[in-house]
Amino acid sequence: MVPSQGFRQDLLLAIPSLRAFAVSLSQNADKADDLVQETLVKAWDKQASFQDGTNLKAWLFTILRNEFYSQMRKRGREIQDSDGIMTSRLAVHPSQQGSLDLEDFRLALQQLPEDQREAIILIGASGFSYEEAAAICDCAVGTIKSRVSRARTRLQELLGISGEADYGPDAIAAQVLGSGMSR
Amino acid sequence: MTKENRPAHSRPGDGIASSDILGANSEIARKLKQYYQEIVSDEVPDRFTELLTALEKADRSVNRN
Repeated sequence: MVPSQGFRQDLLLAIPSLRAFAVSLSQNADKADDLVQETLVKAWDKQASFQDGTNLKAWLFTILRNEFYSQMRKRGREIQDSDGIMTSRLAVHPSQQGSLDLEDFRLALQQLPEDQREAIILIGASGFSYEEAAAICDCAVGTIKSRVSRARTRLQELLGISGEADYGPDAIAAQVLGSGMSR
Repeated sequence: MTKENRPAHSRPGDGIASSDILGANSEIARKLKQYYQEIVSDEVPDRFTELLTALEKADRSVNRN
């Protein structure tokens, strides 16, 4: 069967978010693009198994994530080493103006364990619901929630932000309104 | 992949309980979006459009044979 033009177009549209997720996972632009490439090839081969009308983005994220972890298992040692380098290089100091520098944030994000980093990215940036993120990560919804919570606490510690000022009815209201948009 | 043994859609109250985990207006939430958005708005490298074109072409030639 000749693949539909639509599938190619859908993949094309998904590439920017796939790259962002890949960079978030691998913390390396070159590795990220290799991951995206691998994901596109796998998705193309498996397109018959994709069910129309279901969430293509979540399907692609799942493929990318599986690819990342299988590559990581293959070269576990290498990744551990680079983690060590990141750790020693990090010297986070909350900026005086109270607004956080993006570079500091990026470094703090690198400090998180992969499972926490992917959870907070999927929920806080990729726009997935807790249920979708749980399906992508093949774990329970409660696990995703606790990872997001630990990730947030850890980032606050690393960046020297206190949590309290950030909370409030507005934050909750915005999240509730926003949650209507997740598919 | 194992299927979640939970219903696909959570109870209505779930979203509210989850909401303060991240805090939509928190500094962390804002930076997270900014960090991500910066990568999303990067131009898509040519290698990916070329890859999809190659995959499509390969499929077509398989179908012809």
